[in-house]
Amino acid sequence: MKTKLFFAFAAFCCLFLAFGTYQGLVVAPTEETMGNVQRIFYVHVPAATVGFTLFFVNFLASIYYLWKRSLRADALAATTAEVGVVFCTVVLITGPIWARYAWGTWWSTWDMRLNTTLMLWLLYVSYLVLRRSSTAGSTSVLAASLAIFAFLDVPIVYMANRWFKTHHPPPMIGTSNLDPSMQHILFINMLAFLCFGSLICWFRYEMERTAQKIDAAHIQKAAGGAAAMMLLPAAFFATPGHIAPISYLWAGYLAAWGIYVSYLLFLMRKLAKLKKEAAELGAG
Amino acid sequence: MKAATQEAQREKPRAGLPIGRLTWINVTKDLRLEWRSRDVFNSMMFFALVVVVVFSFSFEREDSRPVMGGLIWVAFLFSTTMALNQSWARELRNGVLDAYRVSPAPAEALFLGKCIGNFILVMLLECLMAPLFVVFYNLSSVGPLWQLLLVAVLGTWALVVNGTFFAAMSIRTRNRELMLPLLLLPISLPAVISMVTGTTQVLSGEGSPAVQLQFLAGFCVIFTVACFLLFDTVLNAE
Repeated sequence: MKTKLFFAFAAFCCLFLAFGTYQGLVVAPTEETMGNVQRIFYVHVPAATVGFTLFFVNFLASIYYLWKRSLRADALAATTAEVGVVFCTVVLITGPIWARYAWGTWWSTWDMRLNTTLMLWLLYVSYLVLRRSSTAGSTSVLAASLAIFAFLDVPIVYMANRWFKTHHPPPMIGTSNLDPSMQHILFINMLAFLCFGSLICWFRYEMERTAQKIDAAHIQKAAGGAAAMMLLPAAFFATPGHIAPISYLWAGYLAAWGIYVSYLLFLMRKLAKLKKEAAELGAG
Repeated sequence: MKAATQEAQREKPRAGLPIGRLTWINVTKDLRLEWRSRDVFNSMMFFALVVVVVFSFSFEREDSRPVMGGLIWVAFLFSTTMALNQSWARELRNGVLDAYRVSPAPAEALFLGKCIGNFILVMLLECLMAPLFVVFYNLSSVGPLWQLLLVAVLGTWALVVNGTFFAAMSIRTRNRELMLPLLLLPISLPAVISMVTGTTQVLSGEGSPAVQLQFLAGFCVIFTVACFLLFDTVLNAE
């Protein structure tokens, strides 16, 4: 029953994502100043939304864990942190690709919005490292405390655009700065990616529960984007004039999907390992 | 088992001594130990000195003011990390920390005592290092000095309060000393950014550090409260 539901949801997500991507790449109107490169927006913003949402769920699950010491909450916290890091990686890679075209520079060192997002990513990576390296009994408690600390930084990140001077475009949802049709398509993409995010979380959560059941916490770093990141430096030395603007768009989409797909492959590999181990122990 | 320990924690009778007195005992104990051995302070001091000298060779420039804020805080941040690791490692020997956990004294007193002890150490280090920065970089402040002092006090507290908490967390992990910078640096990045910006603003006299000071004060309040609320949980995590 559960498996059928899962596959039905997965199929739904695929269709929804395909529809969203089609809308973003083909149907959405071309932006006046940035041209087609602006379409990176339809993967960048939804990834940020999903990332922040997952970190929030991680915060709630951590509080609930400290309160009730529920293993399910702990599994949910581990899941959301890892998947959140993957989505945050997409934000941090598609952002600079767009910025290289729009601002002429990959990164703006004193931009609070950029720094705070990077900081969030670092925080949750350190959370994953802590989960890996703490001694078995205390992992969940220590990780939950760190998660609460990490989340205290999220409001700072969120308000950074309003408090500090930044190059980053301000949030435009529901404002008149954004063309209504773009708004509509952005919204579709956000929903599609939220579905996609919850699908991965569901998958990852079941694995985490299996791992708990066979009493082996295989929490590994979410280095899903490593391959995509390794390709990126090759483009660093090229001057913007020599690159057709459209390649930025393709780079953005390829990087984002490269990360998602490699994370899924990583999960598949992990699942196979877990299944093997469960079979050996006769558990699960 | 976990629930039982939790229950025991909650019903633990409070010590006869008030929390302020207990904190004071912890502070004096730490400082006395440090005064007798001086192993943390000496290594911290020497490390900061080496960093200053290395920086002075690496960054040769006419006017060092724009980068000074960063140099000063990087030197202090790294030497603070060294001190913090040692401050808890000392409690592990002879099972002092376990003894503290079973004693009826509130954990908050231990935490506050450690924080104040570390704060005094790091402030002392900063006071001793300041003349060195003046000598090596021919430094003088354009803005008022009391603002610089305020940035230093708030910034040091922000570093020390988080650092003490995360040092207590990292000694519970497998690779003890390695974990602290990994946990501490990302958490205190917002504070470090405003410390550096504030210091540079005062030194170069460009703009007022009021916003940075407000931000630092807010950061200190939020994270001090969070540390207090969670310290007992982290100390007794099993």
